[in-house]
Amino acid sequence: MTIGIKDNICTADMPTTCSSNMLPGYMSPFDATVVRLLSESGATIVGKTNCDEFGMGSLNVHSVHGPVVNPYQRPSSTAGWSARERRSAGGSSGGSGAAVASGMCDAALGTDTGGSIRLPASYCGVVGLKPSYGLLSRWGVVSFADSLDCVGIMGKDVASTSKLFDALSMFDGRDPTAARPETRSRAQELSSEYVTPWMSSRLGDLTGLRIGIPQEYFPASLGNIIISPFRRMVRTLKGRGATVVPVSLPNTSYALSAYYIIASAEASSNLARYDGVQYGLHVPLPPDTLARTPAEVYAISRTAGFGAEVKKRILLGTYALTADAFDNYFLQAQRLRQSIRDDFMRVFRVPNPLARATTQNAAGVHVLLHPSAVRTAPPLDEEEGLETYTQDVLTVPASLAGLPALSVPIVPDTEGDGWPLGASVVGQWGCESMVLAVGQAIEDLEHEASV
Amino acid sequence: MFVRSRTPSSWNSRRLYSTGLTNAVRTSEQDSRWPGWQVVIGLEVHAQIKSREKLFSQTWSSDSGSAPNSHVSPYDAAFPGTLPRLNPACVDLALRAAIALKSDVQLRSTFDRKHYFYPDLPAGYQITQRYNPLARGGHLFLPQSDATVRIEQIQLEQDTGKTVFESRRRLSSIDLNRAGTALMEVVSRPDLRSAEQAGEYVRSLQAVLRSVGASDGNMEQGSLRCDVNVSVNRVGQPPGTRCEIKNLNSIRFMMVAIGFEAHRQIALLDAGQSVQQETRGFNEDTGETLALRSKEEAPDYRYMPDPNLPPLLLRPEYINSIRNEMPALANEVREHLILCGLTQQDIDVLMVVDSGSEIGFDGQRSQGAIAYFEALSEGRNPKIVVNWIIHELLGQLSLRKKLFHENPISLQQMGGLIDMVQGGNVTGSSGKLLLRHMLDYPSSRHPEELARELSLLAVREDGSLEELCLQVIADMPEEATAVRRGNPNVINKLLGRIIKSSKGTADAKSVRQTLQKLLSSP
Repeated sequence: MTIGIKDNICTADMPTTCSSNMLPGYMSPFDATVVRLLSESGATIVGKTNCDEFGMGSLNVHSVHGPVVNPYQRPSSTAGWSARERRSAGGSSGGSGAAVASGMCDAALGTDTGGSIRLPASYCGVVGLKPSYGLLSRWGVVSFADSLDCVGIMGKDVASTSKLFDALSMFDGRDPTAARPETRSRAQELSSEYVTPWMSSRLGDLTGLRIGIPQEYFPASLGNIIISPFRRMVRTLKGRGATVVPVSLPNTSYALSAYYIIASAEASSNLARYDGVQYGLHVPLPPDTLARTPAEVYAISRTAGFGAEVKKRILLGTYALTADAFDNYFLQAQRLRQSIRDDFMRVFRVPNPLARATTQNAAGVHVLLHPSAVRTAPPLDEEEGLETYTQDVLTVPASLAGLPALSVPIVPDTEGDGWPLGASVVGQWGCESMVLAVGQAIEDLEHEASV
Repeated sequence: MFVRSRTPSSWNSRRLYSTGLTNAVRTSEQDSRWPGWQVVIGLEVHAQIKSREKLFSQTWSSDSGSAPNSHVSPYDAAFPGTLPRLNPACVDLALRAAIALKSDVQLRSTFDRKHYFYPDLPAGYQITQRYNPLARGGHLFLPQSDATVRIEQIQLEQDTGKTVFESRRRLSSIDLNRAGTALMEVVSRPDLRSAEQAGEYVRSLQAVLRSVGASDGNMEQGSLRCDVNVSVNRVGQPPGTRCEIKNLNSIRFMMVAIGFEAHRQIALLDAGQSVQQETRGFNEDTGETLALRSKEEAPDYRYMPDPNLPPLLLRPEYINSIRNEMPALANEVREHLILCGLTQQDIDVLMVVDSGSEIGFDGQRSQGAIAYFEALSEGRNPKIVVNWIIHELLGQLSLRKKLFHENPISLQQMGGLIDMVQGGNVTGSSGKLLLRHMLDYPSSRHPEELARELSLLAVREDGSLEELCLQVIADMPEEATAVRRGNPNVINKLLGRIIKSSKGTADAKSVRQTLQKLLSSP
């Protein structure tokens, strides 16, 4: 298998720039664990992929290497590359999504902090998996927000994505947040208790599968070009015997704000190390400099090295951690995060493997299903406003809860702009097999629908 | 779920008065250096934990002799993509210290990031335990000052690297060897009342930390650092505004600084001015404290729970196992040795020799004199054992200019030797000879084997002893006749000849008895 690696994952033989001017040509002294596991399993690593700087962005336009252009074009179109419509590939793993979609590699690794795998997967029309937090080792993955970062996988189809996941999902002692082997087996045991025949059937009977549609995941901004194909797909699933029920995750509306506070705060902390002293960009002090303290000296390099988006988030995150703001922003966001997690735990059938006591929920669902994005890929030259931040609204809750989420392409309606769409399958922690099985079922059905 | 607990009691909090301990409101002791005034001192001591590896990376801790930047891993240098991994040995050693200081070990403690920019802090933050430290409370008794100092808390944290500023070249050189080394911060309550007390507190703390192997606690080598908080108030009044003094490199300098600061604050208040809350440094040449930073300039460290490190959860059984495995404290050792029947003098000697023994990295004990004594005393008379150790072994070692830890005689060898002498297999003097031989020619051979080789085995069987006596009686007929005639002291001449010819293997008492028996019958 040929694999592309997002440029915020360390490779010892190729530069790791994180698409930032702060790390021009940076050569890591070690490989990330996931990179080492890939090489050991015989995969061919073909290169590093473009991304938003340090993983911060939803459109992959914040990059020192330039924006990523979505390689999609409608099957009927014969326009040359330079003539076709330039749209965003999504971010922050836009490079990985584009590489897979255009056939440059079979699969690609990326990272997903708030949707950075699932959003490009949806925009580019490929499969994107954000595994449960703690399953894939983060050793060698440049930290953006430690409590949210996950290594993710993008592939042409569910099968190859699943294969890659199996090769990489193992305990690594170097990652202090890695789930221990006992926890992983506990999750396997619990999820296997709830397996019904539908999981092993292909294009077959989905009877017994309970799918929840979260009511709060259909904001006003969600256009019909998304809702219509999504509904069609859900109807097909029902037709195969699946039970589809509405569920409610009442704290969803707070998720985006909570996410940005937590992610920015952690980012301001994780990016404090980029001072140009041990490695990275060092801008010599101008002769007439007024800089006296270390912070002032560092500011000269950091101002030149970081892009505008990263600077914005560092400032926001620094503020959220100040003594004045801490209680009202950071602490409050953490409380909301817990409430959002609790929302998910209430609706799932499979009990939480991370909790000590397991509670049964007979009315629970196996997985949740919702659109991956509120729109198709936006044009690259579109004005950036607050909407760029709201792109994440559907992906962020699963990140806050640390749950596995898989984006699978669904066939758009002919009435729309024809650009790719995705549906997200979200499961209980550690239940990748269940999530991937549902994803496979959707892929099979969509394949049928498209012919 | 993250919950922020209350910050440690501030200087002027209610707690100062609500506890039963007397120090806080002790007004009876007036110090003649500042009549009518009370000086209130609290100490924050940072001790380097004597672990082989650093707190969160597997790099070996370095000592001051290492070449710069030779003990640095990518994590220590804050390279992108690195993550911390807690070293359990550091926790164990800190637990030993907490137990020794009678502190309450918290079953759940957490790690926080303290953010600031400085060249010796590569990550831009230091990992510490701000909100939920490893242990709370505790106390340390100071015998000379006859005072008990309460401990506020004990926490784990990372050490920074070292910067050396060359003013001539206007260059800062950074050595990251020390970056990430485990530190234990012991925060005292403001119970100290004078520089002398503070000095005794630091020395006592050093002794405790060394005796349990948690730290070398050496200020000159940098394994112990102190920050002092000083405030003054008129006797009977509430405590005044405090100033923190940092960068004190020895106990002596600390005491000078405290004295200067106390007088400085009193002079200000006497003149009707107020004391500003400041962080101050110390000028070693002038003995004065100087302002570094005012309260307004104090940085906001933006403490944030470290998202990479889960809470440290300890089970009570685990804490007890640490308690059982750690070296005993000095007063406990003394009590135990008294119970063994040793004199104070013997105990003093043993403890002095023992305190020179090393506790290596990760708390590993190399055998000290007391452990040697205890092992030998099992199944033997402790008084006899201690005599052999103190009068023979230590004496002979010292003659050979050797320290106890250079003793080549194993427990088995020493035990065997003592048993042989006690059982009469060799005489006392032969035993001493053997010991010297074993010191001069170290081997793993059992003393009985050596005794046989050196013909030191006592002549035991009455038959051969009688034979020997008869031989000598025949060789010295005049002396023998003298004894028979009623002159008992002459027997010593015969005795001497026998001892000499047996090369000391004959036991004097048995020889005398045999001679008397043989010479009493006509």
